[in-house]
Amino acid sequence: MEILAPKSQLTSLLDNQVLHRLERMRLAPRRRLTNRSRGEHLAGKGGTSTEFNDFRDYVPGDDVRYVDWNIFSRLHRPYLKLYKHEEEMHVVMLVDASSSMQFEGKFERAKQLAASFGLMGLMNVERVSVHVCHHQGQQPALLPPCTGRVSRQRLFSFLERIEGGGDFPIDGAIEALLRRHRGRGIVVILSDFLTFGDMERPLNQLYSCGLEVCGIQILSETELNPDVTGDVRFVDSETGETLDVSSAGDLLGLYHEHRASLERELEAQCRLRGGRFLSISSQAPIEWVLFDLLRRRGWVQ
Amino acid sequence: MNLPGFYALESAWFFLLLAPLILFYFLKLKRPRLQISSLVLWRQVINDQRVNSPFQRFKRNLLLLLQILLLSLLVLAAMQPFIRSAPQRAEYLPVLIDCSASMGALDKPGGISRLDEAKARVRELIDKLLPDQRLSLIAFHLTARRLTDFTDNKRLLHQALDKLTVSQVGSRLEDALRMTQALARTEQQIGTVLMLTDGNIPAEVEFELPFEVNFQLIPPGGQNIGITGVNARRAGARSWDVFTRLESSLAGQTSARVELLQDGKSAGEESVLLEPGKSQRLVFRVEASAPTSIEVRLHPEGFDSLNTDNVVFIDLPEARPLSVYASPELSTYRHALKGLEGITLFPDENGAGSAPEYDLVISESEESTAQDAPVACYIGVVPADLQKLVHIEDGTASIVDWHRSSELLEHVQLSGIQTTDDPHSAAGVQDAAYEQLGYEILAFGRAGPLILRKRTGARLAYYFLFHTDRSTFPYRVGFPILVANLVHVGLQQASLSEVPGHQTGVLPPQSLQPNHDYRVTSPDGGHSEVKSSEAGIISGVPAQTIGQYVIANEEKELLRVGISLLDAEETSLAAAQTIEFPETTVQASETSIQNDRPLWSTLALCAFCLLLVEWWFYQRPPGGLVP
Repeated sequence: MEILAPKSQLTSLLDNQVLHRLERMRLAPRRRLTNRSRGEHLAGKGGTSTEFNDFRDYVPGDDVRYVDWNIFSRLHRPYLKLYKHEEEMHVVMLVDASSSMQFEGKFERAKQLAASFGLMGLMNVERVSVHVCHHQGQQPALLPPCTGRVSRQRLFSFLERIEGGGDFPIDGAIEALLRRHRGRGIVVILSDFLTFGDMERPLNQLYSCGLEVCGIQILSETELNPDVTGDVRFVDSETGETLDVSSAGDLLGLYHEHRASLERELEAQCRLRGGRFLSISSQAPIEWVLFDLLRRRGWVQ
Repeated sequence: MNLPGFYALESAWFFLLLAPLILFYFLKLKRPRLQISSLVLWRQVINDQRVNSPFQRFKRNLLLLLQILLLSLLVLAAMQPFIRSAPQRAEYLPVLIDCSASMGALDKPGGISRLDEAKARVRELIDKLLPDQRLSLIAFHLTARRLTDFTDNKRLLHQALDKLTVSQVGSRLEDALRMTQALARTEQQIGTVLMLTDGNIPAEVEFELPFEVNFQLIPPGGQNIGITGVNARRAGARSWDVFTRLESSLAGQTSARVELLQDGKSAGEESVLLEPGKSQRLVFRVEASAPTSIEVRLHPEGFDSLNTDNVVFIDLPEARPLSVYASPELSTYRHALKGLEGITLFPDENGAGSAPEYDLVISESEESTAQDAPVACYIGVVPADLQKLVHIEDGTASIVDWHRSSELLEHVQLSGIQTTDDPHSAAGVQDAAYEQLGYEILAFGRAGPLILRKRTGARLAYYFLFHTDRSTFPYRVGFPILVANLVHVGLQQASLSEVPGHQTGVLPPQSLQPNHDYRVTSPDGGHSEVKSSEAGIISGVPAQTIGQYVIANEEKELLRVGISLLDAEETSLAAAQTIEFPETTVQASETSIQNDRPLWSTLALCAFCLLLVEWWFYQRPPGGLVP
């Protein structure tokens, strides 16, 4: 059920105070993956911004408007004045809305983070788009790329409206995203990454498309510290499959090993592709995540 | 290694319960369903667990396995398995328990007796008795007594065992073995006999063993001192010397105080110190003009493991002269008797005088006077029952050989004596023919016996088949010696010169009125009715308790007889490590009794523990064991 925000609140996802602090923050990608469109992210190449970059010799054919006439008057030789180029960065957010995220506030935390990253992108004149995957075989719900402060409410409304449920695995969702997405930038994947598929191929595809991967794994407390014992029949929330486990209490050690192993593997795969990975608990306070954890990790400035 | 056996093998049918157990397990198995976000991690865990642990397939159904194991243990317990003690099990086992006096010895101050130790071992045997095994308890000392038939009734066996007490007698094994042999012949096949004893038994037994003997040696008692001999000898007209012999066991040095009580009053006291295994003789002088009861008590200083050998009894008769009857015709004997002290000779010089009873009769015929005397000597008389075996011919005969150690002919030289009576045995009559009639030949002639001795009950008779007056014997030095020996025998028979102490076992024969009923009261208060024989002898009365036995006739006390242990073997507490049988030697077993060990209780305990483990395993808090 959609929770309507009070009139004083901009969105039910985040508190106004948090939004206010987020407006002054911006994403800090490791790589300069920008589009040709003008934006506020400085590109590596020369451009037409007001920020000086370098000088070079004039060659015939260059636009004479960029000749530094002061130097020409002193040295009697023409030099071209170069400026930095500011381009637009595409911030893509992939929100896993499958059934596995419908446990203990995982989905709500994913929407809050998506709203936060989206707001940071919009406030820094980036192109922001949101993909929400539900059911396998269906196209993910899409918030088309938008930019600017005016799109803020649109972003919030979109996120507030989406509902969870479905069996879309995250690896398939990434491939579905890439079929519709164009542009370079940063992709923030908000998921529990609990998939039977292989994450190597979709991450490679993201890298090839010029998207810096920022994976945030959101796990519930039950997944982090399961409290089970005896003989249990586990039921998968997405597929409905069952798994009989005897003496589950004895296997918790092994479970923790596998969970830590999955975390290490995902982090390694993201780092290998110039990306970043972070695993958080759905019960961790959002303020601590946004203003402490992500800052310390250098995800945001 | 002995394979286990099952007594109730038919209980194996209960294993069929496994089928419904497994069926119901899978039909009724309901695991709690728990919806989780994804099975990804748990499936990896399960796959990893299967790879790492080869028993995971079983562990998946751990509860089923535990239930199968539990049921199997219960069914196995119901099958009553047992571990065989030997390849051949003894289904019928006679148990011989020594209950002689030495089994009453304590191992330490305030400790338990050897019999209690043996009882404890037998109780363990009874408790571990399997349903198809049967025991027969046999107690033995001087004789054997079967306490129970072959039975598996544990209550009956325990009751019989509880009633078993130490008998104050020595030990002998033959009766018990013969009884067991009889059981083997009449009852069942008996392969092994279990014998529990402290080893204080004869080391050599004349018995052909038809079965094996498991000789279980109970550790002997501690140090002991006891009285092993007592007798009294006349020391004058009205005095006796009481001799007591003290012995100590091999365990250690012992000291004691010996007290002599005459008719319940203290009459003497001595202190003794005995080295291990040594003995000492003490003499007490007692004045007694009338019949008196003597009791010698030993008061050990320190620990004494056996107290039944600490007291002895002896009854001294009235001091009186020996009453002797000698036929007036036997002047040579009368002449020799006159020179001896302590006798009264009848008839007197004038041919007058008589006594109601004579202690010794010397006569030329088997007249009625001699019939009642305890000792009779017939001169020139052939007993009526020997008339067909021997006859007297005229002629010269000489003594060829004689029993020099017999009480009558001791220190008597008979060589060279000539007699004109020549006894001849009938043709074909050997010495054995006389022995069969109860006669012992004391002197041999060339053609037949010359002097015979016959004991009939308590009565002793000597027969001179030749008349001494028709021989050179009265002129020899040996003649007065023979008469003195005869008087000495009379004194002994009349208990006038020496009184022995009596051992437990059987009451010594007592000479009383013929064909009368008597009541014998034992020291523990038991009564037995006995009837005297035609000769007035009562015999065969069991006397297995130390103390004074009272013989009464119509509530009138007639006689007291003191009975004591007086067994040096029992007092020594010596333990034989081996028993020699005619064809084999049995060693004492150093190991305890190996009996079949039932396992049902162990299995039931395992099942209970398994139940607890299962309960704990499924009820314990999560995160316990990490594989």
